[in-house]
Amino acid sequence: MSARITPMIRLFLVVALALGSFPTNVFASAKNPTTYTYLTISDADSLDPAYSYDTASHMIVLNLYEPLFQFDKTSTEKLIPLIASGVPSRENGGISPDGRTYTITIRKGVKFHDGTLLTPEDVKWSIQRFILIDRAAGPSSLLMEPLLGYASTRGDDGKLLPTVWEDVNRAVSVQGDKLILRLPKPYAPLLTILASWAPVLSKAWAGKNGDWDGTEQTWQKYNNPSKESSPFFERAMGSGPFKLDRWDRKTKEFILTRNDAYWRAPAKIKNVVIKGVNEFGTRKLMLQAGDADAIYADRPLLTQLQGIPGVKIIDDLPTVEMNPVVFFTYKINAVGNSFLGSGKLDGNGIPPEFFSDKDLRKAFAYSFDYKGFIADVMRGKGTQATGAIPKSLPGHNPNGKKYSLDKKKAEEHFRKAYGGKLWEQGFKFTIAFNTGNLPRQTVCQILKRNIEGLNPKFKIDVRAVEWPTFLDAYKASKLPIFVMGWNADYPDPHNFAFPLLHSKGDYPTTQRFKNPEFDRLVEEANAETAIAKRKVIYAKLQDLAYEEVPQLYIIDAVRYRTQRDWVKGWFHNPIFPDSPYGGYFYSLSKE
Amino acid sequence: MLKFCVKRLAFLPFVMFGVTALLFACLQFLSPEMRASLYIKDPRQLSQLDAVIEKYGLRKPVYIQYGLWLKQVAHGELGYSETAKMPVAQAIKAFFPATFELTLIAFIPIMVIGVYFGVLSAVYKDRLIDHVSRFVAITGYSLPSFVLGLGLLMVFYGKLHWFPPGRYGLETDMLVHLDTFRHYTGLLTLDCLLNGEWTAFTDVAKRMVLPGATLLYISVALLLRITRSSMLEELSKDYVRTARAKGLPESVVIRKHALANALIPVVTLSSLLFIGLLGGVVITETVFDFPGIGRWGVQAAQQLDIPGVLGSTLLAAFLFVMANLASDLLYAVVDPRIRVG
Repeated sequence: MSARITPMIRLFLVVALALGSFPTNVFASAKNPTTYTYLTISDADSLDPAYSYDTASHMIVLNLYEPLFQFDKTSTEKLIPLIASGVPSRENGGISPDGRTYTITIRKGVKFHDGTLLTPEDVKWSIQRFILIDRAAGPSSLLMEPLLGYASTRGDDGKLLPTVWEDVNRAVSVQGDKLILRLPKPYAPLLTILASWAPVLSKAWAGKNGDWDGTEQTWQKYNNPSKESSPFFERAMGSGPFKLDRWDRKTKEFILTRNDAYWRAPAKIKNVVIKGVNEFGTRKLMLQAGDADAIYADRPLLTQLQGIPGVKIIDDLPTVEMNPVVFFTYKINAVGNSFLGSGKLDGNGIPPEFFSDKDLRKAFAYSFDYKGFIADVMRGKGTQATGAIPKSLPGHNPNGKKYSLDKKKAEEHFRKAYGGKLWEQGFKFTIAFNTGNLPRQTVCQILKRNIEGLNPKFKIDVRAVEWPTFLDAYKASKLPIFVMGWNADYPDPHNFAFPLLHSKGDYPTTQRFKNPEFDRLVEEANAETAIAKRKVIYAKLQDLAYEEVPQLYIIDAVRYRTQRDWVKGWFHNPIFPDSPYGGYFYSLSKE
Repeated sequence: MLKFCVKRLAFLPFVMFGVTALLFACLQFLSPEMRASLYIKDPRQLSQLDAVIEKYGLRKPVYIQYGLWLKQVAHGELGYSETAKMPVAQAIKAFFPATFELTLIAFIPIMVIGVYFGVLSAVYKDRLIDHVSRFVAITGYSLPSFVLGLGLLMVFYGKLHWFPPGRYGLETDMLVHLDTFRHYTGLLTLDCLLNGEWTAFTDVAKRMVLPGATLLYISVALLLRITRSSMLEELSKDYVRTARAKGLPESVVIRKHALANALIPVVTLSSLLFIGLLGGVVITETVFDFPGIGRWGVQAAQQLDIPGVLGSTLLAAFLFVMANLASDLLYAVVDPRIRVG
């Protein structure tokens, strides 16, 4: 019987060798020179530009559609016209002296992927549609706020506001070849928002495929829709440098093909494949084998990619994010809250208003080891943040005051807090972070170690919670301290100042922190269009944030990119979605 | 026999109802905010949490949500899976054939090798082949599948460039999505052959070698061990001694007498093994970037994608009942003393 083993093994080897002998990975220079392959871990949500609010989807949208303007290569300030034929300004009369009317001439001769001509009516319809779709947790408010003056088409009762149609038609109209935008009040970041959101879709194609026809009678039907109901969910009809060949949701793969009728010179690369591969080992091997041209990798894994022949790591790339940030909840929701301990200042818990004491917040700020975090966790990459606005944006003050680890000062403020009672009684509470986020976890652990070392009566538990649990506690303001971050929607300081420091912003709402001076400065800076004046206001805001310490800003992070060295023409603009990993593929080539 | 089958199949809806009702009961413990986490992924969306809860009706009592879901099922719909980005029925149709194909490719060698070497080990107990088989089996059983999978990938893809990961390469991808490519069976290897696309077949087949080999190696151990111990038990029984005393050739004693009886626990185990593979082999699918049902099911569970979880659970329940039925029928084939019906 044992004599039969050999033929079986022989058969297996023959089959394996026969299959293996086909040369899939034999390459001398650029493998698949007309195809650029990027491996990511993100899963796109929808290709409808009015629905998608995630980086993965937005990156695909950027390559299929075109907005009115685009950022000039690596700049986050200078715009170049795309669908518009020029960038409006006060100087050229495109922006009215009162800053409330924008007149934008639409470029002629641009064609959609089906060969039809793009018209000003398409632009108007696309912007109106972007606003009117207004899906829950979607991006519509980004344009609704500057153009309509409010953030939702629905009231608190969930019903549509009666004036929406009238307002949107007043705000967005067409005169000949010009698009006219009328704002209720000046809104400085409008052009940068238009460069990032509301790209132009084909109205005619949409109508033929069951989308909104642009009329008053039907728009309500398309408000807050289900994702899959949109014809733009998995198909596309834009004018961008690439056409959508297919979104294979089964294999998490997008295949884009070059738009040869593009109004600028066609892209150099013929196909772009964007594929979700969750396992880092597999991504690494595919990059190594030349089957991928660029991959996503977490920073701690970067060392595994160093030294691979033909693989290049480009580091120290700027970002438009503030992450991680430590948030203090000024009035913690004590109902059924296990994060608070006893709920009293008795050494076994904390009272709900614990972090409303400024000395306590300062003590925490002096207890964090900013330099150590950057050196050890971020491997020395990045610099300490000086405020809520990242350094890649105007309004960032590099000379702003910042905290540093100072245990003496920390103790001083702890002793002052609660009239000295805190130091005597001690405290105990829990800091939570969402599972799987190593930098956020380390932030919590550094705070715990340093603060507990000051007084044996100080106790901090660090708890990893799953995202659903985190969300539940976050929404209910149950977390005494939480660690999260913010990525820019558009490259303007207002996109950081408002959500982080205005009382109606996302985070202060949960922190239950309200300071009229913060609100005044944020609103004043947003209404001001002169950049020099805005910078002065943001500097004041930064000083105030240093003094009041509603949050701890830790790092102005940098990013990195891993790619094959045969990829040419790549550049990094931090506002491009998923850049530096993904981004804009128009300029890429392989040699 | 027919009556037996009908009776077992009639039981199926109750099993399915039971598992889904249980799942919904578990959901009682989750707040609407927790369930909204499926739709809120980015801090930029946090301010819209209430709007999301309202939109998806997450504040409704769970029994009402279950009722609505059952109503959908009655209309032939299983809901929409956020993690798969498609309706649940479509997701099952998309992911299941890949897993089924991989299962078939792995299961046949698992059975052949497991039973073959299990018998050999028993017959040549404490000889070299027995020691080698047991060593291989133990290492396979104790080796984490991601370690084995990545190891195989490093050697056979990273170094030798033989077997790439994924379902297919770009050229095959383009080809199988052409209107002219006919999906006769849903099994890609077979469909490539039936369409006469040899290059595409090679591409697809090559990509199944390593996941198939991983599944084979980690799954064959149990079968080999069970076959061996079952064979050893049978070989020590009186009827085997009698058969040998009658002067029957050893091969007949082993194949016709001992093996037939030793196969009953093997049949039970292999049906469970088959179900386990069909239910999806998450780690193998993840390491080899293979778009199977297991990867989707786990992702749905992790992200609280309730329709996705219900859909994959329903499929698992269906497969479990069917496999039990199949193993009951196989008992009768293996052992004529057992009758069903």
